[in-house]
Amino acid sequence: MPADLIKVSDLALGYGRRKVLQGITFSIRRGDFLGVMGPNGTGKTTLLKAFLGLIRPMSGSIEKSSVTGGHPLFGYVPQRESLDFHFPLTALEVVLMGRFGRIGIFRRPNAEDIKVTHDCLSQVGMDQFAKRPYRQLSGGQKQRVLIARALASEPEILLLDEPTNGMDIVSERAIMELLTELQREKQTTIVFVTHLLSTIERYAHRVALITSEGNLLVGEKERILSPEVITHAYKLS
Amino acid sequence: MIEILTVPFLRHIFFAGFLVAIGLSPLSVYVVLRRIVFAGAAVAEVASAAVALAVLFQLAPFPIALALTILSFLALSRVADSPRLPPEALIGMLYAGGSAASVLLITKAPRGEADILNILFGNILTVPVSMLWMLVIVFVFLSLLQFLASKEFLISAYDPDMGRALGISVGVWNMIFYAAVGLAVAVSIRVVGALLTFTMLVAPGASALYLTERLSRTFKIAIFIAVVSAIAGVAFSYQLDLPTGSTIVAFLVGFFMISFCIAHIRKGRTG
Repeated sequence: MPADLIKVSDLALGYGRRKVLQGITFSIRRGDFLGVMGPNGTGKTTLLKAFLGLIRPMSGSIEKSSVTGGHPLFGYVPQRESLDFHFPLTALEVVLMGRFGRIGIFRRPNAEDIKVTHDCLSQVGMDQFAKRPYRQLSGGQKQRVLIARALASEPEILLLDEPTNGMDIVSERAIMELLTELQREKQTTIVFVTHLLSTIERYAHRVALITSEGNLLVGEKERILSPEVITHAYKLS
Repeated sequence: MIEILTVPFLRHIFFAGFLVAIGLSPLSVYVVLRRIVFAGAAVAEVASAAVALAVLFQLAPFPIALALTILSFLALSRVADSPRLPPEALIGMLYAGGSAASVLLITKAPRGEADILNILFGNILTVPVSMLWMLVIVFVFLSLLQFLASKEFLISAYDPDMGRALGISVGVWNMIFYAAVGLAVAVSIRVVGALLTFTMLVAPGASALYLTERLSRTFKIAIFIAVVSAIAGVAFSYQLDLPTGSTIVAFLVGFFMISFCIAHIRKGRTG
């Protein structure tokens, strides 16, 4: 079984001709709990989208390997504000979308898919809200539903974009402890993007820090979160 | 009501209204949710230009209008998910370009404007049986497509990034959706005219979205509102000697206003 789920070599990412990130080489190991941080606009979300295959590298490569030999299955948790609140969907219907990749084309979800959906809602403590309209849920509840949706795809790796953005401290702690539990009990590999130093410091095992110049520093959090490295990355005087 | 079904031309009007209601109302839910409500109006202008072009060069008008309508919707599908340009911009350009092209081409066409508009926009009072069969075939196909590809249409509209992460070909499904709307609009405009087509592509979905918090119910309510409006519109227009298309539109707008009031009363009660 390969130890690295994702291996990035000399990667450059950007939009049009503008490079956002360059010269990136690192790997994500099975069972990692990696926090990605950096100043605003340095490409944290861009990096996640490149892992998902939503953005093509300008140069370099992203190799992905699964237990089964193919590509690993990704569970993606987008920023919850990016979802359209006009759609009249229940929490159950949102989570069921996580199964769509496993259901064949022109096929409809079956009883097994519904069962998995309920199990995932239970796992995040939201099964009692299954029939509640998604848009009526609080920020923390929506985030749990989106995590359940990612889990419904039975992923090997969970990618979360700002999972605690805009939350109060209680909700933030609940979400991060849920992720810690998933990583510890199911060995799910977790990569989360955040701009909160305190969240990274408390929960991540390893840190990927994008500097204001678009370079990436990866390592154990004790080394990356040193005052010298942070001062350099954020150009603090 | 029974009288309507016994007179052949009235029976045709009734079935045309009913078929267009059944065919366009489910699509109207996604048209509203995807924020492309003016696409119908813009593409009607493009179809008008296509007919004028066909008349000018003595070609068959309907296939050209159909092809250009579907092509316009496919062009819309290319910008549906673009971070650079919202779809409204292309809709606006299609509207302006289509309007200008029709005026310029009609000026040079050997037949008059009234003739061209009659070819393009048909008349619900003179619906031939062949057009009814065409509506049946197109809308049975589109209904089947929407039923079988409901999960692909949903995730492509709601969360395309998640769809791509799950391995779903979002770009292809967007193209299929827009082509489906283009086909539905092209055949509907030919049978019942631009105004009724445009309204059927907006009002049922918009009204239903006010009334429920469940997507599956939204489709059912949209179909119900569209069918009731079509039947009531045909019946009232016959009884009161009113234009049929506009009477159906009046019922659809009436349903929308009722839905709007119900939603706001409910909101007031729940605070």
